Amino acid sequence: MELTVTSEESWLSIIMLGLPLVSAIFALLISGRLKVIVGWLTSALMLASTAIAVVILIRVWTSAAIYNHLGWFDFAGLAFDIGFYIDPPAALLLVIVCLVSFLVHLFSIEYMKEDDGFIRYFTFLGLFTFSMIGIVIADNLLIIFMFWELVGFCSYLLIGHWYKKESAVKASKKAFLVNRIGDVGFMIGLAICWSQFQTFDIAQLKTEFSALAPMSIPSVLLTVLGISLFTGAIGKSAQFPLQVWLPDAMEGPTPVSALIHAATMVAAGVYFVFRLYFMMSPDALTIIAIMGSITAFMGAVAAMTQHDIKKVLAFSTISQLGYMIMALGVGAKNGALFLLYTHAFFKAGLFLAAGAIIHSLHKAIHDDKYDVQDMRTMGGLRKTMPVTFMAYLICSLSLIGIPLFSGFLSKEIILIEVLQAALSRGGIYIGISILAFLSVTLTAYYVSRQLLLIFFDTYRGKNETDIHENSILIKTVLIILSVLSIGVVWSLNPFSMESSWVMLKLGIPESSLPHSWTMIMSLSLIIIGLLYSYSRYRPASKHVKNYHNSSPSQNSLAALSFNNWYLDSIYNEVIINPFLKIVEVISKVERIVIDRLVDLSGIFTVVFSNVVGWIDRAIVDGIVNGSVYVVGKAGVITKSISGSKAQSYIILAVIGILIIIFLVL
Amino acid sequence: MVLFYFILSAFLFSVGLAIVITRKNAIFVLIGIELMLNAANLNFVAMSKSITLDGQFFALFVIVVAAAETAVGLAMVLKVFNYFKTVELDKINELKG
Repeated sequence: MELTVTSEESWLSIIMLGLPLVSAIFALLISGRLKVIVGWLTSALMLASTAIAVVILIRVWTSAAIYNHLGWFDFAGLAFDIGFYIDPPAALLLVIVCLVSFLVHLFSIEYMKEDDGFIRYFTFLGLFTFSMIGIVIADNLLIIFMFWELVGFCSYLLIGHWYKKESAVKASKKAFLVNRIGDVGFMIGLAICWSQFQTFDIAQLKTEFSALAPMSIPSVLLTVLGISLFTGAIGKSAQFPLQVWLPDAMEGPTPVSALIHAATMVAAGVYFVFRLYFMMSPDALTIIAIMGSITAFMGAVAAMTQHDIKKVLAFSTISQLGYMIMALGVGAKNGALFLLYTHAFFKAGLFLAAGAIIHSLHKAIHDDKYDVQDMRTMGGLRKTMPVTFMAYLICSLSLIGIPLFSGFLSKEIILIEVLQAALSRGGIYIGISILAFLSVTLTAYYVSRQLLLIFFDTYRGKNETDIHENSILIKTVLIILSVLSIGVVWSLNPFSMESSWVMLKLGIPESSLPHSWTMIMSLSLIIIGLLYSYSRYRPASKHVKNYHNSSPSQNSLAALSFNNWYLDSIYNEVIINPFLKIVEVISKVERIVIDRLVDLSGIFTVVFSNVVGWIDRAIVDGIVNGSVYVVGKAGVITKSISGSKAQSYIILAVIGILIIIFLVL
Repeated sequence: MVLFYFILSAFLFSVGLAIVITRKNAIFVLIGIELMLNAANLNFVAMSKSITLDGQFFALFVIVVAAAETAVGLAMVLKVFNYFKTVELDKINELKG
C-alpha cells in the first residue's frame, strides 16, 4: 500500500486518530503498580488529541474540508479505498468526542481510583475513543461499519467492566445482542448499496445519487436501503423498538455512561444518518421521523417515575436521541446535529455529576447492600455538594431547554421545523409534532423532579456528616462541562439560534414561522411541566413523603412508565419465550424422534450382528469343522486297518528288498 | 581276509535290523539304526584297505550325518515323550496334537 498523504491536515488527522490507540496500548503495557501514571498519561494523550482536533476544526472551518483517500486492496477488479473526509460538522464532532473523552479520562482517575480493573478500564476507554473518531472521519461505509462494530464491542466490554456482578454481565450481553439486530439491518443496507452502486465510498455515492436518473432504481428499493441503514442507527442510538439495552447499560461505571451512552457512541447513529442524508428517500425519512418521535415520547414517559438516578438520565438520553432522529426525519438535519453537539456536553455533565454524587455517597457509606443510586434516599445535597449542585442545575436547565442555555438553542430549531412540517405537510406530521411538544413538558417534569429529589428537602439517607464535596479534579471537570452548556458559548445572542456560530456554518433552516411562536409554546409547556412536578415533589409535600417512605402503590400509568412500557416483558413474552419454547420443542423432537431413531438403528445393528455372528459360528464354522471332523474320522478309520505297526512295515520292507535282491542277482 | 570284515558287517547289520524290528522303545530303534549305519561304514573302510582311500572319507561323512540324524531323532523322541508321556512306538498312533 502506497501512502500518499499529501497535506499537513491529513497528517494531523492521522495523528489525532492514532493518539487514543497509542493511549490504549500504553495503558496495557504499563504495569498495575503505576496506575496513577496511566491515568494521567492517557489523559494527556487525549488532551493532545483534543488540541489537534481543535486545530483541524479551525482549518476546516476557515478553508476547505479535508479529504484524503488511498487504495486499500483490489479484489476481482474492484478497488477498495480507505480514507477520511472531515467537513465542518465532522470536525466539530471530533472536538467534542476528544474533549468529552479527555474530561471523562480525568474524571475516571479519581472515580476509578480504588478499582482493580483500572488499567483495563483505561485501555478500553482509549480503544473506544479511537473507534469513535474512526466513525466520525471515515469516508467509506465499510470502514464506518468496522469502527461501528468496534465501538459496540468497547461498549460491551465497558458495560461489563464489573464482570463479577451478574447484572452487569447480563446487561453487557443484552446490549451486545440488541445492537447486533441493528447491525444486521446495517449489513443488509451495505449489501443493497453494493449491489446497486458497486461502491461504498460516500463521496462517490453522493455523485451517483445526485446524477441518478429518476426511475432507474425503483424507489421502493431506495426506501428499503435508507431504512436498512437506519436500522443500524436504531440499534446504536437506542431508538424504538431497540431502546431496551440503554437503561441496562447503566450497570457500567458512570464515566462510561457519560462518554459512551450519553455523549458519543449513541450519537453515532444520529451522525451516521446525518452523513448519509442524501441516501434517504422521502418515505424513509417519514419512517425515521415517526420512530424518532415515538422514542422521544416513550423515553420521556419512562424517565418520569424511575428511582435510580442513572436510569432517569438513561431514559432522558433515549428521549433526546429520539428528538435528534425525529429532527432528521422532518428535515431539520442541521438542528439534529446541533442538538447532538449540545447534548453531548450537558448530558455528559449530568452523568458525571451523578457520578460525583454516587462517588461521594459511596465514600460516606461503606455498605455494599445500600443502594447509593436510589434518589429516594438522597435529598438536600445542595448544601453538602454545592459545586456538583450548580453543575447539575446548569446541565438540567440546558436539558429542559430554558433560554440562556445551550439546549434551548438546539431545541428551538427542531421545534420550529417540526411545527412547520406539521403545518405544511399535515397528516402523520401533526402526530409527530404533538409527540414532540408533549415530550417538552415531560422533559421539564422529570428533570425538575430529579433535581427536587436529589438536591432539595432534607437528606434522607445514612451518614450525612460524612458526605463531602469531591476533589478538585472532579469539580474542574464538572465546571468545564457546565460552562460548555451555557448558551453564550454556542451563540452570541443566547435567545436566537440564528446567531449561533454553529448554525451559521451548517446552514439556518428557512422558516416562514416567527420564532416567537415556538418559543412561547415550548416555554409555556415547560412551565406546565415544572409546576406539575413542583406540586408533587416540593419539599415536605404529602406525595413526596409517601414516595420516600415506601414504594408507593403505583397506579397503572406509573407502573407503565416505571417498567419502560413493559418493553422488556413484551420482548420476553413475544420473542424470548416463544423462542425458548421452540427450542424446547426442537430439543424434545430431537430426544423423541432423532434419539429414538439413533437408538433403534443401534439396537437393529446389535441384533443383526448377533444373527450374523450366529450364522458365522453355526454355518460357516460348522462347515469347516464338519469337513475337519469327516477327514479326521476317515483318517482314524483308514488308520485302524493297519495302525501302529511301523515295525512290521520295516520287516515287510526288508523282506521285499531281500526278494528284489535275490531276483536281480 | 576281507571276507571276515564282510561277515562282521553283515552280523552288525542283522543285529541292528533285529533291534529296529523287535524293540518297542524308540531309543532302542535309534540305536539299532546306528548299528546298521556302522555296519555300512565297516564295509566302506574294509573296501578302502585294498583299493583306494575313498571309502574311508565316505565313512567319515556317514559318521557326521549319523551324528546329526541322531541329534534330530533324540530331540523328536524328547518332544514325543513330553506329549505322550511314553516312547513306546505302538502307543504313539495319532499325529493330531
